[in-house]
Amino acid sequence: MPVTDGGFGDESASTNEPRISFYGGKWASTVPIAFFIVWAIVQSGVLGIGDTNGLVVGALVGTILGMFFARGDWKAYADTIFEGMTQRVAATAIVAWLWAGMFAETLQVGGFVGGLIFAADALNVGATTFPAAAFVLCGLLATGIGTGYGATVAFVTLFFPAGVLIGANPVLLFAAILSGAVFGDNLAPVSDTTIVSAVTQDADIGGVVASRFKYAIIAAVPAFAAYLIMGSVLSGASLEGAAALRESATAPGLVHLISMGVVIATAVAGRHIVEAISWGLIVAIAFNLAFGLSSVADILVFTTTDPTPAAALPFVQVGETAGVGGSLYSGAIGFFPLIVLTLLIVAMAQIMIRGGGFEAILEFLLDSVATTVRRAELTMVLGTAAINGMITINTAAEIAIAPYIARIGEKFNINGYRRANILDANTSALGYIFPWAGGVLVGYQVMVGPDGLGEQYGPEMVVNPIEVVPYVFHGWFLVIVFLLAAVTGFGREYIPDRISEEVSRA
Amino acid sequence: MSRFEKFLAGWSFRGSTPDYEPGDVIEVMVTGDAGGETVARIGDSTLRIEGAPDDAVDTRVRVAVETWDETTHRGTGTYRETVGESAF
Repeated sequence: MPVTDGGFGDESASTNEPRISFYGGKWASTVPIAFFIVWAIVQSGVLGIGDTNGLVVGALVGTILGMFFARGDWKAYADTIFEGMTQRVAATAIVAWLWAGMFAETLQVGGFVGGLIFAADALNVGATTFPAAAFVLCGLLATGIGTGYGATVAFVTLFFPAGVLIGANPVLLFAAILSGAVFGDNLAPVSDTTIVSAVTQDADIGGVVASRFKYAIIAAVPAFAAYLIMGSVLSGASLEGAAALRESATAPGLVHLISMGVVIATAVAGRHIVEAISWGLIVAIAFNLAFGLSSVADILVFTTTDPTPAAALPFVQVGETAGVGGSLYSGAIGFFPLIVLTLLIVAMAQIMIRGGGFEAILEFLLDSVATTVRRAELTMVLGTAAINGMITINTAAEIAIAPYIARIGEKFNINGYRRANILDANTSALGYIFPWAGGVLVGYQVMVGPDGLGEQYGPEMVVNPIEVVPYVFHGWFLVIVFLLAAVTGFGREYIPDRISEEVSRA
Repeated sequence: MSRFEKFLAGWSFRGSTPDYEPGDVIEVMVTGDAGGETVARIGDSTLRIEGAPDDAVDTRVRVAVETWDETTHRGTGTYRETVGESAF
């Protein structure tokens, strides 16, 4: 290949010779991950089931299926599964998720959501401004706890009924909550998508958050204005018998703004994410106990079936079923399915790399599609959009496409910060826009589930997911900002422009 | 880079053909090896690297820029050391 193309030569042929041979050639090495993507589309997109455990089974079946295409005694195939699972990219994300989960849950039991609702009350937020306020406050919560799904569930459970009852439009309010979740998922240093985007692109999380602030704020300002305008245009639902939902809102929970600030400030200052969240967690536990926001047992509890002298301890209680509980426990446990899924997806990606399928797809993209830096960035933006439109569990989608973003970007020396931002923008945005998206479904489930809002207050409290699509303003604006950024070069940075901190500090 | 500078970085429209000065020492990913020449493509600019190891492709190297033509956005440089590798 001539050097005039910038050097996309035939290096892969000499240095990355496929190590596993497949019946059907190197494209057959994509069978496990292709099967998984089809499974994910059917499960989440067609059937509307946002169950991470279901995706785990899909990944397992896909991995077994791929084995039947491998030539030889399958040892190389099996070894490659282990090789993939032990990659640092997976380990780093897993460690961070465990810490983030504990922190998020401890804020929840500490009444942070109630504090936010109290603040909205104190600021006298009315029906027309409620959606805009919901966007800001949900964005704040999601930025603090790092999970848009968690923020969506919390806000739809508590904030949504309160807003509808005072006259806000239900569709706009649901969309505003989803927009807040997009903002937090995109920007939060403890967000799973932020962590994956940073570690897969060899960039430190603090620097990634700082570098993506510009895109987030450029999308958020017009989104906030749009919620203010549409809040006065769209009418609310008429509901009888307003419940005193906001009785649960109390000011003390607002103290966790400091816990959240500790994590954000230390992470952005470049400290290890585990250290940053540990400090936030310590501060949050101290506040919970000092101000009586939660009991020790809310944070950690051992439940025994037999009365024992140890039951006098604040973290031991007697119950019908023995077990361990509390925010530290449930916060970490909540990520276990995602951790298993991550290990399997990285293993499937490694099979594709060792079998030559990864290189084949990459060569096709680089030779036919991403032939200039502008087209490369557009390919990255549209590629992340396409995969997130199909796989609606946003972190799973992000992990699946991360290797391509890394390699396409590196072939043009696009900086790791920029790559991480392109990767995360659509992942965050589209995971909360389409009716089959996981983020929309978790909120919808709160409305239609057993003892859901619809059952409690009537059908006015149930929003058809397809109706919110045009109103998730921050999500749409974020997609548009990155399309324009790819075309115009806004925010583009090359690797020589600045060096990312070491990933080990992520 | 300070925390404040990290927030301000990238608030600009960066072109597709970055240029460098002779004497600059930069870190780049080696993107290709064609016809015995090691090449780093930076955006749509090209830097030929002399003295790089045979297996330099997809590694991050430090290069001293020797010549640069701002018209064609091409230059040459000398390999200093390998400082990293591809993310994947």
